Amino acid sequence: MSKESLKMEMGLHSSTLAHKGTDKKVCRYVPLQAEVIDIDVESSNTYLISLRPLDEEDETVRIDYSPGQFLMVSVFGLGECPISIASSPTRDPLQICVREAGKITQGIMASRVGDVMGIRGPFGNGFPVEKMKGRNVVITGGGSGFATLRSLINYIADNREKFRDVTVAYGARTPQDLYFTSEYGSWQATGIEVGITVDMMDASWKGNVGLVTSLLADLNPSPGTAALCGPPMMINAVAKDLVNRGFLKPEIYISLERHMKCGVGKCEHCTMGPYHVCTEGPIFSYDVVGDLL
Amino acid sequence: MTSTPALFLDHESLVPLIEELSKTLEVVAPVYAEGEPVFATWKGEALALDADNPLNSPVEFFLPQKEVLFKYVQYSGRYTFSEEPPKSRLILGMRPCDLQAIKVLDEIFGTELSDHPYTSKRKSTIIVAMNCTSPGKGCFCASMGSGPAAKEGYDLLLTDVGSGYLVESGSPAGMFVLRANSRHFEEASPEHLKEKERRLALAEEEIVKRRLALTPEQIREAIDETDWEEVERRCLRCGGCSLVCPVCHCFSVMDRGVPDGERLRCRDTCTLAGFSRMTSGANPRASLGERLRHWYLDKFVYIPEKTGMLGCVGCGRCSRVCLSDVDRWSILREAIE
Repeated sequence: MSKESLKMEMGLHSSTLAHKGTDKKVCRYVPLQAEVIDIDVESSNTYLISLRPLDEEDETVRIDYSPGQFLMVSVFGLGECPISIASSPTRDPLQICVREAGKITQGIMASRVGDVMGIRGPFGNGFPVEKMKGRNVVITGGGSGFATLRSLINYIADNREKFRDVTVAYGARTPQDLYFTSEYGSWQATGIEVGITVDMMDASWKGNVGLVTSLLADLNPSPGTAALCGPPMMINAVAKDLVNRGFLKPEIYISLERHMKCGVGKCEHCTMGPYHVCTEGPIFSYDVVGDLL
Repeated sequence: MTSTPALFLDHESLVPLIEELSKTLEVVAPVYAEGEPVFATWKGEALALDADNPLNSPVEFFLPQKEVLFKYVQYSGRYTFSEEPPKSRLILGMRPCDLQAIKVLDEIFGTELSDHPYTSKRKSTIIVAMNCTSPGKGCFCASMGSGPAAKEGYDLLLTDVGSGYLVESGSPAGMFVLRANSRHFEEASPEHLKEKERRLALAEEEIVKRRLALTPEQIREAIDETDWEEVERRCLRCGGCSLVCPVCHCFSVMDRGVPDGERLRCRDTCTLAGFSRMTSGANPRASLGERLRHWYLDKFVYIPEKTGMLGCVGCGRCSRVCLSDVDRWSILREAIE
């Protein structure tokens, strides 16, 4: 039998795959290249990196995403890891906020303007912004978890009339660890209430000191929807606090962090009970993941 | 499913047939390596079709232990990527348990976003399955509903009926292979068909009789009842059970080479300590007991919820490779006895 005729016939064989059509989306694992166009230092170990995704002709590609989604970011030779998108889809450019943690993040942070890295995505479900519209929104974060919340905050700031009272409660370890400090004023200018706290103060600090939960007590937000991202201990404490304040568990949305290798629900690294955090998350409502946290 | 009249292939005609096929395809078949049956690229050696099901599952040819996802080459600050097209293959002697495992993996890897490295290999492979008329000592396909008779998912299906193989086609590609090589086959007789049914009924009886069958419901109950801390003390943490499981598909991804190199995908397992550990050091499944429990829950609860099929096909390989003094299924049996 000839190779050509066999190849023709191969398309017709009995596997369950053959019946599923060919028009659906396929993951090839080959990333897009994205050029670093700007690097901002957010803290001593955190950079905000602006990217220009490229097609094969070096032209800019638009990535459609929603707040809360993430990218698989590659440094060729070091590997690939999940990084949440820190920019809002309402604003250019695409930005990721990277804190030095392991060898890949170190590699990302060693990039200079003009270098390229690989990106795949966006992946994950993102915050349910449509459900948040017309409601009060409390956005609470701690540490590097604030990067993904900044995407949501800027999205809300750019669509401010569609949301009711919006409160941001953000905690960092020290004043030097606070991200996006130059933007708080612009959020407040749209009527967003912004509360900031640190665990440890220094001589220059005149703001709040203490846990995010005590900051919430001061801000006393009215019940509505909530978006959370941060260390597990903080998430647990804040989620419980919000429930006590009258928030409903299904309306408390938590962004989770997990080890990930594929981003498309195949490699199993990010599984949490029955869920794949990469495809069914990273945003889960508190009623779904409360027992698994 | 395409139905055509069954054909008959002499035992002696099998090797000439695969010799013919290996001119245009890479033929993978059970052969002996140091006395043990293994699935490997056939190079004319003796076939191990009568031996136990090979310890390495044929899933290796769709999700290899190690594969290159793509190569990257850097030139003046930009990269170009290249992927290797899949080989045209024929896998001979795949048992019904492994066939069922591939059906589960097709559901996991073939649905959005579908995994191109898996599906491309899958689509360029012809499967010549073999009904299990002499089941191995440790397998329990009948309890999991995956064997000993293959129901679907094959291109061609062989059943050893003593004097030769009864050959049935399950797809247009299978029919094409039969037509293109018709000189090797003769028409099957009603006796051949009757012999197939008799042998499969015997095999099923043997599996059910010999195995202390646990239903999936009993297994789910046993997962709750098991003292996982106690199991943790017996497990040697080698990960062998996942390595040979035809449904296990955990993988890791890594790069090799600067500035040019390749991105590799390697099999991994959720039972190893570092599997879900994050860079921060936080580990959602820090204890081995939790990880082992997850291994079973995935097969008997989570995969069934997602695919409608069990994540265990009863091939028994996990027990065959377990280095500890317990086999994986006796853990569950003990729990509910």
